Amino acid sequence: MITHEDQMNLFRIISKSIKKDIECYAFGGTAMMFYGYKDETKDVDLLFNDEPSRKEFIEAIKQLGFNETSLLKIYIPEKLRDKNRPLMFKREDYRFDLFVKQIFKTKVSPRMKEDLFAIHEFKEKSTLKIGVFRKECIVQLKAITERQNDFDDILTILKKEQNFDWQYLIDETIWQHRHGDSWAILDMEKMIRQLKEYHFVEQKYLEQLYKAQKEK
Amino acid sequence: MENIELLKKLQGLQTIETASEALNLSRQATLNLLSRLKKEGYVTTTGGGTQKRLYKITVRKQRKRDPGMFDILNKYSPMKLNPWYDHQVHGIYTPEDVLIDAIKTKSFRAILASLRLFNHITDWKKLYSLAKQNDCWQEIGALYDLAKKNFKVKRMPKQYAPARFKGKKYILRKYENNDFKDIGEKWNVGIPFRKGDLIKVET
Repeated sequence: MITHEDQMNLFRIISKSIKKDIECYAFGGTAMMFYGYKDETKDVDLLFNDEPSRKEFIEAIKQLGFNETSLLKIYIPEKLRDKNRPLMFKREDYRFDLFVKQIFKTKVSPRMKEDLFAIHEFKEKSTLKIGVFRKECIVQLKAITERQNDFDDILTILKKEQNFDWQYLIDETIWQHRHGDSWAILDMEKMIRQLKEYHFVEQKYLEQLYKAQKEK
Repeated sequence: MENIELLKKLQGLQTIETASEALNLSRQATLNLLSRLKKEGYVTTTGGGTQKRLYKITVRKQRKRDPGMFDILNKYSPMKLNPWYDHQVHGIYTPEDVLIDAIKTKSFRAILASLRLFNHITDWKKLYSLAKQNDCWQEIGALYDLAKKNFKVKRMPKQYAPARFKGKKYILRKYENNDFKDIGEKWNVGIPFRKGDLIKVET
C-alpha cells in the first residue's frame, strides 16, 4: 500500500528524474488521498495527455526500479481487451496504472480539465504537474474501472461529502455517452442502483440516464 | 459514535465550549476527543494562550500544504483572492514564477493582484526567460509599467526596455480599456484595467 507521504515523496523523486515538463491528471485512490478522503491506496492512477509524456514518466520510474507488470487479476477481461487499457508498473508494494488520453472508453471532457480540485506542481529542473480531478469525476471513473474496492471508495466519498453534485456527475456521464463511450450510462446506472442500498439517490438522476440512453 | 458521524456534527470552527455543547460531553471528554481527532489529522487549531483556542474540524483529513500561486498573491496583494482550485508547488516557487502563472490564468482578479509582485521581483533575468518561454513578455512589460505608475516597484534593468513588438497581445481575451492607452501603445498590449480597478490593490 502507498501512503500519502509515500506518494508525495515518490512524485518528488520522479520530478528529479524527468528531463522535460510533464502534465498529467490524478484520479482514483491517488486523487482521494490528495483530497484527504483516505490515507493509503493500492495504486497510483495517472492519465497523460499524450504518449511522449507517458514515455518520459515511464523512463523516470524505470530508473527507480519499477518494472512493467500484467493487468491480469486487476481488471475484468472485458477491460483487458480495451485498446485504452493502462500500462502497469510495479516495485514491491508500489504500483502505477498509467493511461493515455482515455481511461478505457472514457475521454477527458473539457469540463473535467477545467474544473480541477487541485493542481500540484513538483518543481525541480523540470516540472511534474498533476491536476486532481474533482470528486464527481473520481466517482465517475471509479464506476467504470470496476476494480475491487472501487465501490467502497465511492461510498467513502459520498459519506464524507455533504456537497456532492449529482447533476454534475450525470451531465458528465451523458457527455461521455454522447462522445462514444457506449458503457458510460450502463456502468453509472449499475453503480447508482448498487449505491441505493446504502445511500439516498434521487430517482430523477436515474431517469435522466434512461432518457439519454434512449436517445441513441 | 462513528468518526464520520462525529465529524459531521462538529465540522466547521469550534471552541471547546461549542464542541462540548454539540456533543453533550464534559469539557475534559471533549478535549480528549479533539486531541484524538487532531492526531488523526481531522483537526487543526489556532490561537491559545491569551487568545481563545479555535478548532477547525473537517470530515476530510487536513493535509499539510505547500504554498501555491494564490497563497503568494494573497501574501503580497491587499486585494485577497478566493482560490477556485487548490494550487500547491512542491519545490522552489518565486514571485517570478507566480507572475507568469497569474498571467496564464487569464483571470482579471489574479492578474490585478499580481501587480503587487513587481516590488518583489529580484531576478529579472529569470522573469525575462520565463516570459519568453511562455510568450508573454509584452504583457509583463505592460503590467510592470502599470504597477510603476501606481505603487512602489523594483526597477526593471534597462536592457529589458520595450523594443518594437509586431503583434498586438491582450491580457484578457480581446478585451481592453482606454484608461492606460499610453502603456498599452508602448508595449502593444490591450490593458483591461480601469483607473478604479487599481485602487483595489493600492491599500
